[in-house]
Amino acid sequence: MWSKVAGTLAVFCLAGASFAQGGELRGPASAIAGHPASISTTGSGAATFYLIGPGIALKREVKMGKDIALASQELQNAGEYLRIVCADTCQSAEFFVSPEKPASLAFLVHPSRAPVGENDVISAVALPFDRFENMVLAPTEVDFQLTAKSVAPVSHRVTTQDGIAWFRTNSGRSAGALQVEASVDDVSARRIVQQVASNPCNLHIKGQRTAKGISVETDPVHDCAGNPVPDGTIVTFTAKDGQETSTVDSPIKRGVARAELTASGPVVISAASGVVMGNEIRMGAQ
Amino acid sequence: MKPRSGESTRHLVKAIVLAAIALFAPLYSVGVDASPQVELDTSRVGPRAIETLTERSVLAGYRFAWENLASALQSNSLAPLNGSFVGTANSSLKERVIAQQRSGLSSRYLNQIHKVDAVFYAPEGDLIELHDRAEYTLQILDGDKTVHNERIVVRYVVLMTPGADRWVVRQMQSVPHF
Repeated sequence: MWSKVAGTLAVFCLAGASFAQGGELRGPASAIAGHPASISTTGSGAATFYLIGPGIALKREVKMGKDIALASQELQNAGEYLRIVCADTCQSAEFFVSPEKPASLAFLVHPSRAPVGENDVISAVALPFDRFENMVLAPTEVDFQLTAKSVAPVSHRVTTQDGIAWFRTNSGRSAGALQVEASVDDVSARRIVQQVASNPCNLHIKGQRTAKGISVETDPVHDCAGNPVPDGTIVTFTAKDGQETSTVDSPIKRGVARAELTASGPVVISAASGVVMGNEIRMGAQ
Repeated sequence: MKPRSGESTRHLVKAIVLAAIALFAPLYSVGVDASPQVELDTSRVGPRAIETLTERSVLAGYRFAWENLASALQSNSLAPLNGSFVGTANSSLKERVIAQQRSGLSSRYLNQIHKVDAVFYAPEGDLIELHDRAEYTLQILDGDKTVHNERIVVRYVVLMTPGADRWVVRQMQSVPHF
């Protein structure tokens, strides 16, 4: 019996020689994305090392008492990493990997087309990311610049909060392209907002009898800032002939909308585009 | 009628045992896990106020994302990730699953409780940032051997965007503090 006990003890002793003797993990307390780091260990013998983190699940045989090197590509994702070393027992600790400096910007600008002269109609949201697409959460100054033809550029500087910088602004007075740019140090992103004429202003129509009925047309249609309203904008002509009402929708072509109305008796004609009403004209009987 | 003290004691012992099982079983369970508990607080969100239907949709999308994350990392399957994660969040989780497959590891996220604050909702409603204080039991398994089992609190900064039929997670980054 004693020989069996002694044999069993010998097996345990031999097995123990291949496992780690005590020991612990030290460092890193933190690291930067894409930069190598190392974990120092104490003790002796073989152990299994695990690294679990965003985008990684690594298992490696290591020798306690020697440093465990973590390569730069093993620490590319920012976030919390769990390191575990198992010999006779398992020990674990966490450390954080921080993002690098900004290398790109996610830039959301709305809308793609905005009417001129509107308050707070354009919004821009910028999020800095490092070269590994980690969100940079440390406060970062983002410069927004708005540039339009024949207008002095306008700048806003906004510090990111929780990784996001944003602002809202009015559209300009003139139709045309507005370039919105966000930049952090030497990183920038650009978007274009097409500023278009707002609603027509002083919509004015004129008309005359023809052989077929009444021909009506608008004066060149502009918004209140003098920008020509884009072709394709619909102008609705309405003719009231006693108890009858008829309407014609006509798109603006080359700045003017035209329609042919059929009415033989006295008629009142008006025009509207969007929420804007034009003048009325009265035509006598044919 | 004479009270039967032995039977009462047995009932009391049974009750204590059952209560203990009910109390501690969730901490050690490794089988079917309940759906993540997610609470979403939108009271401090800005600059845009969040609409009720959107809030419900974000909450459902985020809960679904965590169900899928847990399922993918437990079964080492990529399929559950496709419906809930896009962009960087999707690629990072896929890399993790593939790395787990390669090294014979799996992870379990059990008994999840998420206390989520919406902190930014973009003016045009196309992006929301969440801060999630997530509490769960994390188990790391090497084959059948559990090498790590710990109840932990992890803070996540999350970006969600509207997808075709639900809100999806685009960025998910754990941080030491908010």
